[in-house]
Amino acid sequence: MKQNDVTYIYQNTFSSLLALIKILIDHKIKPMNLKNTDYNPTLLDTIIELELKDEKSFLFWQIKTSKKIINIAYYVFLSNADNKELIIYYFLLNSLKYQEKIIHMRNLKCVDKALKISAYVSHENHKFKGFTRFKELQNHILYATISPENNILPILSKHFQNRLKNENWIIKDEKRQIISIYDKKNFYLVNASNFSLNELQDCQEEKQIAALWKNFYKTISIKERKNERCRNNFMPKKYWKNMLEMSDEIEKDNK
Amino acid sequence: MNLQEKLQILANSAKYDASCSSSGSLKRRTGKIGTTAFSGICHSFSSDGRCISLLKILLTNCCIFDCKYCLNRKSNNIKRAIFSPVEICTITMNFYKRNYIEGLFLSSGIIKSPDYTMNLMIETIDLLRHKYHFGGYIHAKAIPGTSDILIKKLGHLVDRLSANIELPTASSLKLLAPNKEFKKVDRIMNYVHMNKSKKFVPAGQSTQMIIGATQETDKDIMERSETLYKKYDLKRVFYSAYIPVNKDKLLPSIITPPLKRENRLYQADWLLRFYHFTVSDILDEHHPNFNILLDPKTDWALKHLSEFPKEINTCSYKDLLKIPGVGVTSAKRIYSSRKLFTITFKDLKNMGVVLKRAKYFITCNHKYFINPIFFNKQFIESNLVLEEKELNSHNRKQLSLFE
Ligand code: SF4
Repeated sequence: MKQNDVTYIYQNTFSSLLALIKILIDHKIKPMNLKNTDYNPTLLDTIIELELKDEKSFLFWQIKTSKKIINIAYYVFLSNADNKELIIYYFLLNSLKYQEKIIHMRNLKCVDKALKISAYVSHENHKFKGFTRFKELQNHILYATISPENNILPILSKHFQNRLKNENWIIKDEKRQIISIYDKKNFYLVNASNFSLNELQDCQEEKQIAALWKNFYKTISIKERKNERCRNNFMPKKYWKNMLEMSDEIEKDNK
Repeated sequence: MNLQEKLQILANSAKYDASCSSSGSLKRRTGKIGTTAFSGICHSFSSDGRCISLLKILLTNCCIFDCKYCLNRKSNNIKRAIFSPVEICTITMNFYKRNYIEGLFLSSGIIKSPDYTMNLMIETIDLLRHKYHFGGYIHAKAIPGTSDILIKKLGHLVDRLSANIELPTASSLKLLAPNKEFKKVDRIMNYVHMNKSKKFVPAGQSTQMIIGATQETDKDIMERSETLYKKYDLKRVFYSAYIPVNKDKLLPSIITPPLKRENRLYQADWLLRFYHFTVSDILDEHHPNFNILLDPKTDWALKHLSEFPKEINTCSYKDLLKIPGVGVTSAKRIYSSRKLFTITFKDLKNMGVVLKRAKYFITCNHKYFINPIFFNKQFIESNLVLEEKELNSHNRKQLSLFE
């Protein structure tokens, strides 16, 4: 296990990536590539898949670094940034040396990147705390579709677990085809293809409530202050697709 | 009248209130549904660029008062409506469940008397909290002239309770809102301030004033804010550019609201609350109004150029905050990082400093970014005025109408 020019594979989870990084650091390997199992190797790639002991390594990172550092790494993991695994690798490698101080060392590229990417993921998650729109289905389940750039569903679900704790809800990430199902206790992340959500009908009042909201949205705007550019800055068009109150605007745009 | 029409009337009548923030509350309620988020959440943005966080409505737009600037004044011939408590609860719950909103903002015109109106508001919010078990955010507007006991009751049900001072000075209030009394507004703010606790108005109070309807200078306005922040520990003062909804000989005849001025006031307000500035630092008798060409901090720095350039690696934290283009977050980052390494211009960019502005006022490791002979007022001012113009036409972000 000495070559650096190989691609190391981890099992798609954060703890698996942490386990892989621990092994690499233990063996002083500076990897070229770390990828999850979805990776399509080219003919020139050498692939290595190691046996990973997730739990033990997680404990290691908890002891050797800190909650804050692991959290930053986790947010980078949820991002769709290029080479995020390598950024996490170097970020964690340096955390072992510099400990908490690392958070202030933006002159290290991996730190600067990790902080920016994690801030971006957290920012997007914050936006979706507001921009996610549920509708109520006939069986009282609340159902929302989102299409975020990063894989925020796990952290967004935590937010709604608190907020809508006595409701049944489902959030679907249509980009990644994952759904989060909440049963008033826990939420479960599952592959969307295992579920067919198409037969679900809206509840009776749904139309009326939706109309009230769209009406409120239009009414609350002050025409003397009209400033669509400012609105579009705070709420870029990429979010509009799943926002009920923007459906008329989208139509207008398409004409 | 159906619910749709009611909502339209009572949201339309409430929309001129600027506050929509939903932040600052601590986790505390044990409702069956709902939480409050410390940092506030915007659920949408309306086409005027303002954050929509709360279902902002009036309980009724009927009013026995006749404030000159107000759409709902008695003498206006408009459609009037009143919500029943159940109607408000139904809309709030249905909107909240679907994540349209963060909570409720409830204000009201005055029917019969302040106490009568307040009682209706209390009945509504009590129902929402105790029958519908709503644990989300509620901001209620207290009606000036209400008895203390009702303020007390309402304060225990809501996250934020506030009273609007409406206009920057007592004399203006007398002129344009003859039925209102300065003293009564003050009394509410004082009561809320004295009794604030984890259970009573946990998210504190805010207020708002209309800008440009009366003769005050920016200095008058900012001094009023400064006093309010000190005296009552207000969370926010909202400035609302005067919008001509009525015709009256006492009102100025403008067509467009003074939005630029409003923006400058928000920027200066920010300087008071987070940057250790006082009003006397930025405005005085000779300059009682803000420079419309430059933001207040840059304007201040250019007037005090002898205090610059500041050395990023050694100046005090307070001095970092005085540098145009350096915000609170980046000042903190600089402060913690420079203990570990010497900061260069490139690092500053990574820390979120707006170098376009900051570079004129700093040295990094005793180096100025260009030949130091250009460190003079005319050179810097010429560049920054154009910079600001560009910034404004590229993205006309309204500064921080929400927290
Ligand atoms: S009291 Fe004055 S400001 Fe308030 S609703 Fe009545 S007329 Fe308008």
